[in-house]
Amino acid sequence: MNKESLIQLEKLNKILLSEEEREEMLCFFEKQSENVSGLDAIPTQDVERMVHVMPMTNVIRDDVAIKQFTRDQLQEDAPESYDGYWQVPRLVE
Amino acid sequence: MKLYISESASTSYENKVVLDDMILTKKLPTSAGSRMLDGYMSLFDAEIVTKLEENGYEIAAKANVGEFGIDLLGETSYYGACICEDGTLTNAVAEILKRKEANAVVCFDVNGAPRRAAAIGNLTYIKPTYGTVSRYGTIPAACSGETVGVMANDTSACRKILSIIAGHDDKDGTSLPEETCALLKADAKREPVKKIAVAKSMLASVDDKTKNLIENFKAKAAKCSVEIVEIDALELTAAKTAWNILMSAEVCNNVSRYDGIKFGYRTPKYEDIDELYTNSRTEAFGYLLKSTILYGSDALSTDNYRKVYDKALRVRRVLSEYLYKVLAEADGILIPACSKRNFTEAEVKTNKYISYDESFYTAPSSITGFPTMVTGGVQIIGKPFSENSLLDMALMFEKEGEES
Repeated sequence: MNKESLIQLEKLNKILLSEEEREEMLCFFEKQSENVSGLDAIPTQDVERMVHVMPMTNVIRDDVAIKQFTRDQLQEDAPESYDGYWQVPRLVE
Repeated sequence: MKLYISESASTSYENKVVLDDMILTKKLPTSAGSRMLDGYMSLFDAEIVTKLEENGYEIAAKANVGEFGIDLLGETSYYGACICEDGTLTNAVAEILKRKEANAVVCFDVNGAPRRAAAIGNLTYIKPTYGTVSRYGTIPAACSGETVGVMANDTSACRKILSIIAGHDDKDGTSLPEETCALLKADAKREPVKKIAVAKSMLASVDDKTKNLIENFKAKAAKCSVEIVEIDALELTAAKTAWNILMSAEVCNNVSRYDGIKFGYRTPKYEDIDELYTNSRTEAFGYLLKSTILYGSDALSTDNYRKVYDKALRVRRVLSEYLYKVLAEADGILIPACSKRNFTEAEVKTNKYISYDESFYTAPSSITGFPTMVTGGVQIIGKPFSENSLLDMALMFEKEGEES
């Protein structure tokens, strides 16, 4: 990880770090990278990935529409809304 | 010291349950310890809230938690860390129990903070097998390993609450079948704990007080006719790195929903949509969370996916198979819950990633979903669905302590 790649990661994740934070985070990435290299000692080429920790089957329920919340309820926590819509800055000039 | 984020009208001690502020309630706001969700009101209750209320319990308050539950003891909360007069860190739920302000607390165990809190506070805590308690209505952070847990001053209170909240829930896609979840009910059939394996490799870096707690546990085990054996358990030392990868990747995805549009914090400083997203997230998220997001994003990138994320998923299976192997011969694995008992405010300011280091002790159970119990300041990992056996053992130790 270098500074340019970190800035790119910030852009992708919509986060902006200060220069001081960047320096600190590069050290963190360095340490994590060393830790990851330590995992190489564990042979895993013949091991299947484990996504679910407990054995489970995918149960698909009936696709039934339910009206759980009203539009007004869903907008109660909106930072800004207008006339039933979430308000955002102008996207198209 | 801010213990509570919100409280309802006071109720009787016996029926009072406090929740980590990671669990959604209609009546009280839920913040996940983050400025992003400061004052957020959920439209629905978590399934565990419904279950507790149906059984006569009242949700008395929401306890202060670290931002999205990923830190050491809650020190990254937007509302401030819980610090004792001597400068050592404590944890809101542990402090609430120590002050006898609640009968039990229901925690959300993302990265082991409740386990460290219970160990330091000398409380009983059970993190059940993954999938046995519904996560519907909990704020997601690291979904593949996080579970709802119960902490209390004594084992009986822990068991009572666990017995109520365990059960299948159609609304949680990772919920196990009812007949499996029923193994956690207080009256379920179980085998007694007869043998505990002490994981030697996990003891190398702990302080003397923690070593003493391990010795205390062994002494109690001897008095209660529980056999102690020692194992190297070097395999478990890999859990930290693998879990930190998976946790970061999942946190990165889960908190991508917070963009300042539909709910949560919105910056007042923006000219366009990109600034709105970036400034809202930059201003609302704390440093540890930002680090976790960026590290998780990097782990999932095209360049690193195979070497980092994919590797961690395979290591998870290696660890799980290892635990099954050890627990075929023993009923529990004894490891510390943290390296020491007196973390200071200054220390967490100097080492902002201390929770990444301390997950060395909590990651084996987090990454595999195995149940684990904290009692007498130490942690015992059990076989899946052996919660009642673990709690029986804790109860036996408690009685032994009272008698001697």
